[in-house]
Amino acid sequence: MTILYLDTSSSFLYTAIKKDDEIIAEIKEKLDNNLSKFALSRIEGMFKIKNISYDEIDKIIVVNGPGSFTGIRIGLTIAKTLAWAKKISIVTISSLEAMALSADSSHNYIVPAIDARRNFLYASIYDNKNKSFIMNEKYISIDTLNVALGNLYGDVVFITNDKLDINYDIEPYDPKIDVLIDKFKDREAINPHSIDANYLKLTEAEEKKLKED
Amino acid sequence: MKDMYILAIESSCDETSCAIVKNGSVDISTVILSQIDIHTNFGGVVPEIASRQHLKNITMVIEECLNKAKMTMDEIDAIAVTYGPGLIGSLLVGVEAAKMLSSIYNKPLIPVHHIAGHIYANNLNKRMEFPLIALVVSGGHTELIYMKDEYTFEKIGGTLDDAVGESYDKVARVIGVGYPGGPILDKMAKVGIHEYNLPIPLNDESYNFSFSGLKSAVINLAHNYEQKGIKINKDNLAKSFQDVVVEVITKKTLKALKDKNVKRLIIAGGVAANSGIREGLKKICEENAIECSYPDLKYCTDNATMIGAAGYYAYKKGIVADSTLNAVSSTNLT
Repeated sequence: MTILYLDTSSSFLYTAIKKDDEIIAEIKEKLDNNLSKFALSRIEGMFKIKNISYDEIDKIIVVNGPGSFTGIRIGLTIAKTLAWAKKISIVTISSLEAMALSADSSHNYIVPAIDARRNFLYASIYDNKNKSFIMNEKYISIDTLNVALGNLYGDVVFITNDKLDINYDIEPYDPKIDVLIDKFKDREAINPHSIDANYLKLTEAEEKKLKED
Repeated sequence: MKDMYILAIESSCDETSCAIVKNGSVDISTVILSQIDIHTNFGGVVPEIASRQHLKNITMVIEECLNKAKMTMDEIDAIAVTYGPGLIGSLLVGVEAAKMLSSIYNKPLIPVHHIAGHIYANNLNKRMEFPLIALVVSGGHTELIYMKDEYTFEKIGGTLDDAVGESYDKVARVIGVGYPGGPILDKMAKVGIHEYNLPIPLNDESYNFSFSGLKSAVINLAHNYEQKGIKINKDNLAKSFQDVVVEVITKKTLKALKDKNVKRLIIAGGVAANSGIREGLKKICEENAIECSYPDLKYCTDNATMIGAAGYYAYKKGIVADSTLNAVSSTNLT
């Protein structure tokens, strides 16, 4: 079984090919605003170097957010176009879940967090002992999150690659793609046409309209 | 020569579109998914909403286009895509999908400038002949382009501020008649009379346009009447506004045709559907023995068919891209 992993939801490109039990190619590269220019070209290069054709891919695991709106759309467009054209089974996973499951820390609580600007985050809270989320992913203000964390007994670590104004330990995010593929490869596949982003947030225009109505 | 089938994708604004075009002139199949109903709720196109809709619909639109043509990707010779100008988030969805298809099927990728597409919409009726002057008028563009030859573009003038379609939308909003403003004001102008005095904007010898001053003049006029407690006749205001727009557009277009000694005019872009502007341009063309053409109404607004038409001639000139092709929000047509 050959699986393609793809995450462009931040300023990094994370992609890998796992063939049977082995990661045979992996790219973790900070591309910032060049994601649209280089993401597909890097993926293409990875297939070429390993002499793998798109036809050999049995499954695509793609991160569908939350994170950079544009970044998410780049990865999802690539993934859904490939899945549709080559009839490849495809599943989506959450960026925050991928972050929580990649943590090395032995802290009691793991908080994967992505800067959503204006003192807001995309975040969730993962109970490291019980291996479950005690707060599902949310678009949440830093203040509100701090209150929620203040009520917890035990130490807390944030997983993030963003510069956040918080008073907790921080572990940089480095995805364990191998672990993530094993964890999510059996998730139920979605029709490629239905693949969509998980923005966790309405557009500003929609929020404004909701307030008016 | 063997027939060439181009699959084209256009997603620069609020239409997700895919088309298959044969030899740059025959529309084999066209699918356009318009988001206008969604954006109408907000009084104009919301870029982030547009991008989200493109992502949702892109593969469905491509599939429907292939089904409609009863063709498979293997029968396609090249992929053309609008890379700019337009809304960056929207463009990116089309560009990434096109790049992925080009990579999977190992077909040439042809980057097409949106304005070149609007111009080549004229090639879907009848082969374009050169030299010509192209007037591109839409919600995002107002440009005069001189084409000496096939797929060569020299921009000789353009708007310094608002595009003509944008000014229609803004005026329509000010006088409270809804969105999109172009077709609504055009319809009102047909029953109105030229009652109100509005200044002719940028009434100079250049080929440039300026519509923000005209929009402000309409706003001021509406405010003045309101303060004096006089009810404005909206139909007459629409007519007065449209007359001024038509006057300045026809004047500058005619000047460009005369200065360049060109006997062919093509009109392109969504505002080419405006009857006032069409009639005005037809009239000056008749008076000056100029051949005037414009696309079928269905090819005036954004569509991928025009991108497939332009893409054929771009490809003939050797314009191709690789998978590092990027979308750009603003770019000159050269």
